[in-house]
Amino acid sequence: MADRTEVVRVDRLVKDFRPGFGVRRKRVLHGISFGVRRGEIFGFVGPNGAGKTTTLKVLMGLIRPSAGSATILGHDVRETEFRRHVGFLPENPYFYDHLSGREILSFYARLCGVRGSERARRVNTLLRWVGLSSAADARLRTYSKGMQQRVGIAQALVHDPDVVFLDEPMSGLDPIGRKEIRDLILRLRAEGKTVFMNTHILSDVEMVCDRVAIIVNGRIRYEGAIEEFLQTGDRDTDIVLSGLPVDAATLLEESVAAQLRGLGERIEVRVSEKAVRDVLRIAMEAGAEVVSLTPHRVSLESIFLSAVEGDAG
Amino acid sequence: MKSLTCIWAIAANTVRESIRNKILYALLFFAILMIGAGVVLGSLSYVESQRILQDVGLGAIRLFGVAIAIFVGIHLIHREVDRRTIYTILSKPISRAEFLVGKYVGLTLTIWMQMAIMIAAFAGVSLLTGAPLAWQHGAFFLLAGAELALVVAIATFFSSFTTPLLAAFFTTGTWVIGHLTRDLRDIGARSDSQAMETITTLAHRVFPDLAGLNLASEAAHLLPITREDITLPLVYATGYVTVVLIAAVFLFERRDFR
Repeated sequence: MADRTEVVRVDRLVKDFRPGFGVRRKRVLHGISFGVRRGEIFGFVGPNGAGKTTTLKVLMGLIRPSAGSATILGHDVRETEFRRHVGFLPENPYFYDHLSGREILSFYARLCGVRGSERARRVNTLLRWVGLSSAADARLRTYSKGMQQRVGIAQALVHDPDVVFLDEPMSGLDPIGRKEIRDLILRLRAEGKTVFMNTHILSDVEMVCDRVAIIVNGRIRYEGAIEEFLQTGDRDTDIVLSGLPVDAATLLEESVAAQLRGLGERIEVRVSEKAVRDVLRIAMEAGAEVVSLTPHRVSLESIFLSAVEGDAG
Repeated sequence: MKSLTCIWAIAANTVRESIRNKILYALLFFAILMIGAGVVLGSLSYVESQRILQDVGLGAIRLFGVAIAIFVGIHLIHREVDRRTIYTILSKPISRAEFLVGKYVGLTLTIWMQMAIMIAAFAGVSLLTGAPLAWQHGAFFLLAGAELALVVAIATFFSSFTTPLLAAFFTTGTWVIGHLTRDLRDIGARSDSQAMETITTLAHRVFPDLAGLNLASEAAHLLPITREDITLPLVYATGYVTVVLIAAVFLFERRDFR
């Protein structure tokens, strides 16, 4: 499980780009701050153009911050040596297509300082993990998009890093491939690794992430545990009752502001979570029978959309 | 040690990638064709057919060598950025300097391999026609190899911060000026204008002195060549390449890969 130690720390990070040769600058990141704890799967979520990939590129040393700081495992992201403990899968990765899957993994392992027999062993293990053993010696130009994505994940893990950054890891994968990658991410967490996942597929975030940060227009709108996140706001509950007398139904509408809807012999009552106890008491006292009780889970999508719309407003 | 491993890994991959470039083989084909055409051109002369044959051959090796160096060199960094292969490489424990030097070494080795094929064709044609092969030819090839390494460094420098088209323009321009700066400096020294002398002297110092790396006449006419004629230009070329690569790394370190 995740401990409280932060392995990634971003503090008041600012990034300005200069479009063209002019002196005007466009601010893409407005002093964002967040932290990723050891052993957790962290979802970095936001709409297109929010600054997700820019943030990731700053963390990977591909872009220099204009202000603020970013550290991974306590090292400034502009250093290089600590990267032997870091893996990175870019969005829509592309590799040297004159090499085979085995050769490209061996190439990356060599860059990471993985030596001789250990290199061959890691490459074979990773090819098996991502399901590419049978295509290991085929040239990458013959690989499908999904297979390229798997190579991308394998190269991110070939040196057995402690922290893995994945930019849209499910991109280009079919449902089976997505499940395999989800399982792989969960397996990484089980092995004690920290995973930073940049994605817009909210169902994947809900399924695998421990904590999330939502970025909108270069500003962090939320950071926290996903369970806390989903419990924010006043949730509704649907209660289906049978045999509810008319006067009790009226009482429900007037006293707890319940919304009633007829379902044949039954009545569906929608109330806020806080009023559930009162509804049940009134219904039971009136001799009604409770058929079902369904709390509405607030979806990540609805909260995400409200965050984005709130920003737009 | 770790740096050398990284540089060599990048260099070896660059060689593997570059030798798959079909246009490179087209240029090589025309270079060999021109070396062979020296036989025809030489036969037009009654007295110096072998010298003309070798003049054409040596000229072809230099010109096509430079053309290959510029053509492949200008795409050196741009292709990595354009195809986003640079993202995964620079996220590994490798510095931008190691990456750039590795690309440079790989490309220089590729160019030298191409040059070796052209030299083999030149030697073959010379042997078939009975033209002499002397150590002066070896000295010419050595300095021509140094010139190509210098051109690749200049192409790497421009490739590190601009587009392939501009890099081709600037590299070709630098190569042309590099062959003229010695003459320009001499003209400036004879000029009455102090400003002209300063400008031509400055140009000679800033641009590479490529005329010093050209032993074509000595090789074609089998003229005497001193040890200093070889060592001093080699030291100069090594120093110039080092300075150009340091400047390229300086610019490359500051570049954002968006």
